[in-house]
Amino acid sequence: MPVVIVDGQEIEIGADERLNCIEAARRAGKEIPHYCWHPGLSVVASCRMCLIETGSRDATTGKITMVPKLVPGCQTPVKDGTVIVTESQTVIDSRARVEEALLIDHPIDCPICDKAGECLLQDYHFEHGQAERRADLHPFTSRKRDVGPTVTLFVDRCIMCTRCVRFTREVSGTGELMVTSRGAKEEIDVFPGFPLDNKLAGNVVDLCPVGALGDKDFLYQQRVWFLKREANVCGGCSAGCSIHTEHNQDTVYRLKPRENPHTNKWWMCDDGRYGWHHLHDQSRVLAAGRRRDMATNGHGTPADAFDAVEWADVTTRLRSDLKAAGRLAVAVSPMLTVEEAWMLCAVARSIDPEAFLAVGHVPTVGADETFPGGFTIRAEKCPNRKGVEAVVALFDPASRSWGDLLAHVEAGNADAAWITGGYPTPWIDDATASPFANLACVVVQDLFDSPLTKHATWRLPAAGFAERAGTWVNVAHRAQSFGQAIKPPAGVWPEGRLFWNMLGRRGLYDPVAVRQQIAGSSASLAALAGEIPAHGVDLRVGQLA
Amino acid sequence: MIAQRKVLTDEMVAKIEALAPRYPNRQALTLPALHIVNAELRHVPLEAVVEIAQVLGLAPAEVQDTLTFYQFFHQEKPHGKVRAFVCRSVSCALRGGDHLLEHLCQKNGVEPYGTTTDGELTIEPAECLGACDFAPCILANDDLLKNMTPEAAEAELKKPRARAT
Amino acid sequence: MTPFKPVLLEAVGVPDGYSITSYKSRGGYAPLEKMLAEKQPVDVVEMVKSSGLRGRGGAGFSTGLKWTFLPKDHPGPIYLCVNADESEPGTFNNRILMEDDPHQVIEGIILSSYATRASTAYIYLRYEYPHSWHRLQAAIDEAYAAGYLGKNIRGTNFSLDIYLHRGAAAYICGEETGLIESLEGKRAWPRIKPPFPAIEGLFRKPTVVNNIETMACVAQIARRGVDWFKSIGVPADPANPRDPGSYGPKLYCLSGHVEKPGCYEAPLGITARQLIDEFGGGVWKGRKAKAVIPGGISMGLMTESELDTPLDFAGPGKVGCLGLGTAAVVVIDDQTSIVDFLHNSCRFFAHESCGQCTPCREGTSWSLRMLERIKAGKGRLRDLDLLLEIGQTMGMMPGSTICGLADGAAWPIKNAIKKFRGEFEDYIKRTNPSGWMVTDPVPALQIVGAH
Repeated sequence: MPVVIVDGQEIEIGADERLNCIEAARRAGKEIPHYCWHPGLSVVASCRMCLIETGSRDATTGKITMVPKLVPGCQTPVKDGTVIVTESQTVIDSRARVEEALLIDHPIDCPICDKAGECLLQDYHFEHGQAERRADLHPFTSRKRDVGPTVTLFVDRCIMCTRCVRFTREVSGTGELMVTSRGAKEEIDVFPGFPLDNKLAGNVVDLCPVGALGDKDFLYQQRVWFLKREANVCGGCSAGCSIHTEHNQDTVYRLKPRENPHTNKWWMCDDGRYGWHHLHDQSRVLAAGRRRDMATNGHGTPADAFDAVEWADVTTRLRSDLKAAGRLAVAVSPMLTVEEAWMLCAVARSIDPEAFLAVGHVPTVGADETFPGGFTIRAEKCPNRKGVEAVVALFDPASRSWGDLLAHVEAGNADAAWITGGYPTPWIDDATASPFANLACVVVQDLFDSPLTKHATWRLPAAGFAERAGTWVNVAHRAQSFGQAIKPPAGVWPEGRLFWNMLGRRGLYDPVAVRQQIAGSSASLAALAGEIPAHGVDLRVGQLA
Repeated sequence: MIAQRKVLTDEMVAKIEALAPRYPNRQALTLPALHIVNAELRHVPLEAVVEIAQVLGLAPAEVQDTLTFYQFFHQEKPHGKVRAFVCRSVSCALRGGDHLLEHLCQKNGVEPYGTTTDGELTIEPAECLGACDFAPCILANDDLLKNMTPEAAEAELKKPRARAT
Repeated sequence: MTPFKPVLLEAVGVPDGYSITSYKSRGGYAPLEKMLAEKQPVDVVEMVKSSGLRGRGGAGFSTGLKWTFLPKDHPGPIYLCVNADESEPGTFNNRILMEDDPHQVIEGIILSSYATRASTAYIYLRYEYPHSWHRLQAAIDEAYAAGYLGKNIRGTNFSLDIYLHRGAAAYICGEETGLIESLEGKRAWPRIKPPFPAIEGLFRKPTVVNNIETMACVAQIARRGVDWFKSIGVPADPANPRDPGSYGPKLYCLSGHVEKPGCYEAPLGITARQLIDEFGGGVWKGRKAKAVIPGGISMGLMTESELDTPLDFAGPGKVGCLGLGTAAVVVIDDQTSIVDFLHNSCRFFAHESCGQCTPCREGTSWSLRMLERIKAGKGRLRDLDLLLEIGQTMGMMPGSTICGLADGAAWPIKNAIKKFRGEFEDYIKRTNPSGWMVTDPVPALQIVGAH
């Protein structure tokens, strides 16, 4: 195994690994500061912040020969015997000078800059910079430039790392961003009439090490040191990008991609990135309700037609209503977690042992879209079809679809239906909803009212993606578990909590326990047992074809 | 899809395409294309950048990125029929180059890089023109004006001059 | 000193010396015909290597050795880029070669392409040389017509095209990977190395970048022989196995405060004093030299007492200059303010810095602003220390920048302040009596005319 020596400490790296000095030093717990390098972009070594001293140790004699000048850590690959020095006076001085150089014209906008608190220029200044300014004093300019529908550029804060330009050329392949001019007058800009407008645009804000690029959706909304972050998974499509939900006081402020080499690498698309506003939409279904007068079925607004029901009562009255109705059909939404899906099936079968279980509506928009850098946005706009299909198959190998359920209902083979939704956008029209008009009892559990609501006997709220803990399985069979980031609005029980109670289980809903139970009782989902690593687990691992 | 071109003439496009076999990719035609347009129009307006980008299969921002790097191509309006580069590097400066530039700007009523109101003359500082044997010197279109004095330069720049190639 | 009979400049003053007829009458293209008929590419490489020819563009790297860095048995294409971007202040010898003897350059290019198995040679020509453009293109057309270019030259399986590619007035396009990026149609930001151009250059193919004067030398070596070339100049120091010597004739550009500015050919190794007095008619107006640039402004300054330094590849370094560079000697008389000189230098480099890497982009800008403020009478002694620090820390040599422009910007600062510190201090104290001693930051001047 190759050995790299970092500040005197020996680190073993994999024989087939291709690491640069920054990556190797990290293994030794040393963070070499850098701006322009990013593992997902080409190496330019232009910021010069990662300059270090390097050398090599002779394999036979052990003699160390150092390269007589500084080299960028980002462009220097390590091999057996590479010596890295990250904290000599030369290196310290070099970093201080780079910081000083970047601050000569940088507007000290910290009090009004979104990036404060997560700004590399700030952080490195405190860790590596000089205490006092030596350059001339002059008033700073801080110009704002609209570069596209979702991104704002604060031109003078830019440190010319060019990550954003490289992203639009290499990853999104759209080439909207450019550098203009030459030397110290260089600026980032877009060509007039060709704004930064691609589905991956928001990533440039993540990439910007300083507050030059700002997300219009997040600008001035919240100071980052108030934000807490939960490791989640995006619910926008079946790609299952790993994300962080950043929130404060049960309000989501933004989503950021979380690095996952198996799914999204470092990126996420704008639909996912900005797809959290529905969580705080005022028109969400916010209380459990039962239709007051069955004669109003098919008519009336929710406020008029439904009486609020206490959740404790919901668990019992729902069961009795459904039992009384007769043959039950259940749409298990692909927005539900694996744990919720399983519990719903179990609850349904406990009410009607022959309950017709189907995977709920799978929204599809357009076709899969792959970008030059490899990132793919999926046409299937739900996060857990594969997981729900696998769960439903445990109860019914026929693994029926939403279309099957609609046909089943239209053919008069059901007396009651429980439709789980949780879709952030409208998903059903009057025509598709009409078969449910004739059923004795219809439970609609969704984020928003829809054409189905007028046929609902029970109108139940649903949880949003950040309001539940559990597991989703993406298009590539990768199961990822995540925790609950925020509490749902008061009056909303997430589906998991309702199903847990309807199963008669005691105490708080424990998704981990449910997952262990599922893993223990099925071959296809056996990989869900135990601790699931941060990057998820491939369900096909360990399975025979 | 061939978009309607408003600025690039068929002749310009033909000249650009004639150079295509010289290079293994289209992006290498960028600087030659900019020169072809500039030789004709004495500037490269934004619309021309869009059209060049279309011809070359690039994003307009990629062409503009290259264009602005050189600090050479005028974009807002044509430079003068005579474009006078007045050298200000060390050898010419030692023999009066800075004073020459100042004098010519003042006499013609323009700031450096500016064009006279009649559109005839643009005066720009240039870095070493490679004619230090004739310092101070001026490159006016294709003509190297040697051993210039302020008076001689003034007179030279009043003369009509063949278009720059 | 016996005058050296010009070889590289033999066509200067010859009527129609730029035509193919004239060139052939002087013996041109016969060496090419002979090489193609009798020698293999590797023989030509060996010839150039043993001649001791070092690149004339500024770096002085052994030309033949550079050619051997190309991968053997590469399927191609291999490219030769000829650097005709000559923009180093004080330098104009490439211009004269292209205008007055373009075929000498072209024969050198064809020979070099044969040696390196390049199939296409691009001459990257600076915009500011329209006369060279016309002369070169006419000569290229003549060479095609005479069968020295195109497919299967002289019945061999060697084919070559030469294309002129025009720059747009950016100095950094003279840096070999800046040239390559510019040729590829992008902004001329030099590339990080490795990979070096010989492995991955133009269009990511093996590429050699050579200077115009180097090409002319190749033609003359082919014509007159290795022994001839090695008989001129300064031999390698036998005590130093790493000294490649300074062989061959060199075109020295002489300008600034001399009676006869011009391009003069002499064996490598003449001194600045010899060049000024014997070729240049002496310092102008009967004055004395205060400082002399030895090889283009990037090389820094020699003082009057250092003028007996031989101008070969090793000489200027011995007096603290960066090197021989382009051998462009610029004389500054004793009535010129060194402050004005350094301001001019800083203005040049701030204008030309490509802006890619932090120390150069910000260092060149910061040093210009300080010089502006000093010139305007608001300088401090502390500024000299800051300038020295910038000069000592930015560059490829300390490892802080991607290319050598920063070193070129740094050396005039270092040399000027170290060798003329007294004059700087006097100027600062005299023009800023109330503020020269201030060490805290002071208000900036507004920049006028940097770009």
